Amino acid sequence: MPLALRQIEQDPTAAPEEDWRLIASALTSYVRKRTRRPDVIEDIVQETVLRLIDYRDKGPLVSIYALAFRIAGNLVVDRFRTERRYSAEAVEEPASPTALPDRVLAGRQELALLMQTLQAMPPLRREVIIRRRLHGQSCATIAKDLDLNPKAVEKHITRGLVDLNKARVRSQTMERYQS
Amino acid sequence: MSADPRIAEEAALWTDRMNRPAIDSALASEFDLWMRADPRHREAFAEQQALWDSETLTAALREMDSVSKPTLAPETPARLRTPARRRAWQFGAMAASIAAAALILPHVSQQSYRTGPGEGRQIRLADGTQIDLSGNSHLRVTLSPWSRSASLTRGEAYFDVRHEARRAFRVKSGDASIRVLGTAFNVDHQAPDRTAVEVYRGAVEVGGTGGGRQVLKTGTAANVLAGRVSLRPGPTQARPEWETGWFDASDIPLGVLIDKIRRYAPQPIVATDPSLLSLRVSGRFHISDVDRALAAIEAAYGVKVVRQHNQIVLELT
Repeated sequence: MPLALRQIEQDPTAAPEEDWRLIASALTSYVRKRTRRPDVIEDIVQETVLRLIDYRDKGPLVSIYALAFRIAGNLVVDRFRTERRYSAEAVEEPASPTALPDRVLAGRQELALLMQTLQAMPPLRREVIIRRRLHGQSCATIAKDLDLNPKAVEKHITRGLVDLNKARVRSQTMERYQS
Repeated sequence: MSADPRIAEEAALWTDRMNRPAIDSALASEFDLWMRADPRHREAFAEQQALWDSETLTAALREMDSVSKPTLAPETPARLRTPARRRAWQFGAMAASIAAAALILPHVSQQSYRTGPGEGRQIRLADGTQIDLSGNSHLRVTLSPWSRSASLTRGEAYFDVRHEARRAFRVKSGDASIRVLGTAFNVDHQAPDRTAVEVYRGAVEVGGTGGGRQVLKTGTAANVLAGRVSLRPGPTQARPEWETGWFDASDIPLGVLIDKIRRYAPQPIVATDPSLLSLRVSGRFHISDVDRALAAIEAAYGVKVVRQHNQIVLELT
């Protein structure tokens, strides 16, 4: 009976239903920016949503979106470990014999652009970004060490990330144009 | 990328905030609201998060960091890696911190603590952290100027960690790892692929080798099974149960319960049939009273307890 069904759905004590499609499409954008293989993208998004549903059934989550990206990120890393050569990203160590030449080139281009962007930053901003992202220091620690207020640290991180992202998008556009 | 610079900045700010080890819960719900509000928000965040996680970014930052880094050992604390390109006052600070490093670097202490069955132990570390180690347990602790870590290879321990903003405290137990943000919590190493964590004060971050990390706050608990973190009901009392000699089992393999009793039993406990150890058991057991605990298992689960002169044998009835 539709009426009965609707009543069940509107049970006010039930947790609001998460829109998994929104989460899945945000995750798809994310994973696509980290790997190029369509089957991998789909796999990881599906696996992430399944795990999320599982977590959610066990109890309230602090942030479903933060958890979603963290799970997907971990799954991407797991894939990279076994399938490095398919990665859309630069490989840190020298190219392996199996790496595709264009992939390596693309990675180098992106690396060069990111380094250029870092070089062009005010030194203090660069220092803040290195400490935060490379050494995993907290904003509070950075603020104390560099004698800044925490808001200023956040500002440096935010501005720096926006600039780095612009460089990354530019290199990916260039790459698409070249291929 | 996002055409709207305001959205791009907001996304970058959220990326910084959501990639911190501890996420404030009010901020976290605000983040979810922001993400649900607009597809452009989700797209911009996905882009920023992909940048944040990018190995190319790690490589670029490492290059920039090493270009400007004075030649120090790779294991020096982050704050000592002061780039040489800085202004004069910063050179002064750097020189001072290198001098300090020369004094503190050699002080890496490594300690191993073992307890026999039935013998608990209280440990006070140099940093002020208190640890109550249960019986039949083994814990290794490494304290260095830039890190504090402990590895529980057997048994159970209650940690009351002295808060330090710069030195995180990490505990490894089998394939589970716990990052401490200044707090009191209990770690029960039940098997290499099975660890239970309970938080009594503050917050910890728990992760497994299977990926996925979870922040646990006061009064919450999680199991790490085969590298996966799953939440479970938190402790109801102020101190871990084992300190009173009790254990609340909720659908666990009998083998795990037997291991807990072994922490108190003077003789070895062996099972004739390994399938016995995978029986699922639930209930509240007085594990420090070995005879009583075994009698309870005998009565409830159809297991026969045979006492020989130098060991206790469990048999299927």
